[in-house]
Amino acid sequence: MDELEQIKVTFFQECDELLADLESGLLAMETGTDDSETVNAVFRAVHSVKGGAGAFGLEPLVRYAHVFETLLDDVRSNKIGTSPDLIRAMLRAADVLADQVTAARTGGTPNKVATAAMVAELEAWIAGDAAMATASAAEATTASAPPADDGMDFDFKPMTVAVEDFTPVAAIATTDDDLGIAFTPMTVEIPDLDAETAPEPEGEQVWLINFRPLASLYSKANETALLMRELERLGPIEPVLDINDLPGLDALEPEGAYLAWTVTLTTDASEELIRDVFEFVSDDCDLTIARAGADLTDVQEMDVHQEPAPEAIDPIAALIAQAKAPPPVEEIASLHSAEANAPVASETLAPIQVSTPSSTPKPAPPRAGGGEPAAAQATIRVDPERIDRLIDLVGELVINQAMLAQRVGEHGFAPSSDIAMGLDELEQLTRGIQDSVMAIRAQQVKSVFQRMPRLVREVAAQTGKAARLIMEGEATEVDKTVIERLSDPITHMLRNAIDHGLESPEERVAAGKPAEGAVRLAALHRGGRIVIEVEDDGRGINRPRVRQIAIDKGLIAADAALTDDEVDNLIFLPGFSTADKVSEVSGRGVGMDVVRRSVQALGGRISIASRPGEGSTFTLSLPLTLAVLDGMVVDVAGHTLVVPLTAIIESLRPKPEDVKALGPQGAVLAVRDAYVPLVDIGSVLGFRSGSIAAPEGVVLLVESEDGGRAGLVADAIHGQRQVVIKSLESNYRQVEGIAAATILGDGRVALILDVDAVVAMRRREAPRPPEPILHAAE
Amino acid sequence: MAETIHPNAFERREFIAFCIGEQEFCVDIMSVREIRGWTPATPLPQTPEYMRGVINLRGAVLPIMDLACRLGLDSHEPSQRSVIIVVRMAERTIGLLVDAVSDILSVTQDLIQPTPDVACDKVKSFVRGLITMEGRMISEIANERLLPELEMLAA
Repeated sequence: MDELEQIKVTFFQECDELLADLESGLLAMETGTDDSETVNAVFRAVHSVKGGAGAFGLEPLVRYAHVFETLLDDVRSNKIGTSPDLIRAMLRAADVLADQVTAARTGGTPNKVATAAMVAELEAWIAGDAAMATASAAEATTASAPPADDGMDFDFKPMTVAVEDFTPVAAIATTDDDLGIAFTPMTVEIPDLDAETAPEPEGEQVWLINFRPLASLYSKANETALLMRELERLGPIEPVLDINDLPGLDALEPEGAYLAWTVTLTTDASEELIRDVFEFVSDDCDLTIARAGADLTDVQEMDVHQEPAPEAIDPIAALIAQAKAPPPVEEIASLHSAEANAPVASETLAPIQVSTPSSTPKPAPPRAGGGEPAAAQATIRVDPERIDRLIDLVGELVINQAMLAQRVGEHGFAPSSDIAMGLDELEQLTRGIQDSVMAIRAQQVKSVFQRMPRLVREVAAQTGKAARLIMEGEATEVDKTVIERLSDPITHMLRNAIDHGLESPEERVAAGKPAEGAVRLAALHRGGRIVIEVEDDGRGINRPRVRQIAIDKGLIAADAALTDDEVDNLIFLPGFSTADKVSEVSGRGVGMDVVRRSVQALGGRISIASRPGEGSTFTLSLPLTLAVLDGMVVDVAGHTLVVPLTAIIESLRPKPEDVKALGPQGAVLAVRDAYVPLVDIGSVLGFRSGSIAAPEGVVLLVESEDGGRAGLVADAIHGQRQVVIKSLESNYRQVEGIAAATILGDGRVALILDVDAVVAMRRREAPRPPEPILHAAE
Repeated sequence: MAETIHPNAFERREFIAFCIGEQEFCVDIMSVREIRGWTPATPLPQTPEYMRGVINLRGAVLPIMDLACRLGLDSHEPSQRSVIIVVRMAERTIGLLVDAVSDILSVTQDLIQPTPDVACDKVKSFVRGLITMEGRMISEIANERLLPELEMLAA
């Protein structure tokens, strides 16, 4: 039971990946990439979801996926031409499929109405195709041999083959340790065609399968041996390898395909089932499946489209001669060149029997050397908790190493001493390990981005806008801790861009813009941070209106002199909402200020720039990891604190004449003709009652999120250090003014300052009452 | 140890007993992760008086609560003999600063009496019950009520 559950978990994980593939495939088709590879990938994704769901008895999911699959199959076999409408319908169908998967995973019930509507729509598309298909029947039959299509015209007519003429497979399986596959050249006895000799057991038929893989089959990491084994499940097989086209070693392309097989299969399975075996490779091989036992006249009529078999002595010869371009494989060439050459020279026919032992045979595809470009990256699934544990351990290692270095320093070892030098090396190694471990946890932002096309579709539909999402930089990597927190801000920014940024299609056309608005979502690395940009080509921020609203809501003074930039960023103020009516999408006034606060809590910044009539750009920047931080270690009233380096513009020791008193307690510092307010960290945090005079300490010039500057006063600076971030919330709760904690070289905990919060606390003048919520709970 | 009077009636439970000043308290042994000596804590700003700060517990940041202060008893600066009892409550782990750990009690439910109406509401809210044993009176701490902030956050 547990095991099954575990497999089920894996299945749903795979579903996520498949759904992502499905969506990206459909999106690729939307942009015009509708080559068979893309279409097949889309089909495979749905097919695999269906297959897995079937194995777990998830009936509703199977039923739905089946309808979707049927439509995709028609698209794949060109029975239905793709059109923007169709692709949009399929994207929506993919959304419903995702809902179905989620419902199956959580045991909930999917939205029946939506599902039924989608099924009806899909079926309409399928039905519509039927009419089209008859109209253009000629086009319907393509060379790509789609499976499960009864309208196929085969190259071969059925004919009979005397199966017993072949030596039994098992007997032939000679030893070849290196390959695991044994090839023995042999001549096929061609049966007398005039006599219908083939024994046909009841219900069983003998099929001749002519299978010639193209190079692309191997490059997609398919294995012919596996296909053979699949075939064998249907009944006893007699594969015959044709190496007619195998060139000499000098002419051999390492990644070419030169081998072909003619497989005689005795089975009671239908042709459809046989075709299903080749379902995923049908575009990458020449495949013909025909019943054995046709009469000669039929055979001779068959269309052997390249170089008709010499003298056309007999059908099998023709069959095999037609099969060409077998796969490459250096091993085969080297091992069997001697044997292979002989038959090739003496006869047109050089069949080689392939044994398909039940043990895993080494597959024919060219794995050696050049490698396969299309092969999937080898990945391992690891429980994230294990990685987190590793990261914790490495964090401790870093701390321990720092402690050791401190001790060594205290004992007065010279920097050139063996111990000190050994420690330096240790430090480098530790850093190396830390970077590598962090890299393990790094993930591409793709995992977040891929949810966004759906969001854009839904929001656009809700708001009656037409929007197109352009995504860039999906491969940008960030630590998992950051990835998890990206989704909400991006969701909000996108909603905002569509709901508030984009105009309605009519307005856009009137303004001379395309009816469909473009929203660009981009990720990039800049200055050791990850930057997410959401840009729309809408109307831009209506500054007079934003200003008026801010005044109406008492957020700014009526006569406040604000720059354009400052006006734009008013939308981040709490309680601000420009939407005329509260819509389902945004406009509750809890949007952007909540986003900004959550972003700031992560040490990030968010801002907006707007060009009236041309659009707006949200820019979100976050640290690459929430696990480590570069900080300035300072001393404040006997406490050691860490100030994030990203917030610090410069540190300076002020001259007494630069410090001016302002108001009863306040003071400002003149920094190059500008006055910045001074904030004594110690008094804000309650470490001491009075402020120290700035000239006695050090001033850290910081920039807060709103672009305002402040000077934080500390007693002394100890230096710069990379620290491992430890959450306070995990065991306690958030503490105002403190972003997190870390552990210093001496093993003690130091607090990491939340610069913006400290500046904001200073602004409120009176420190917060210390125990506001305690008694409330008692 | 006093053996049970009604052996079949109740399940046996174990407690870690400790003292604060002259009084004895205990917590359920199942919630105790470890017991360690006092190490100076880094004070947290903007926190109630009973929060002593945070310490480094093998790489994790562990908040320390001065239990004497929390219970409204006389609190004094921790000494070398002070002890931190690391307890798990809900999803969190915190350290309780106490004067000394005395012993492990093994009692049945019938030995635990409800907290009588005492003058101090604070004590009543933190004490789940009283255990009488060998002439001692030991108060069982309801440790889930010690951190009201957490209840607030959860609500």
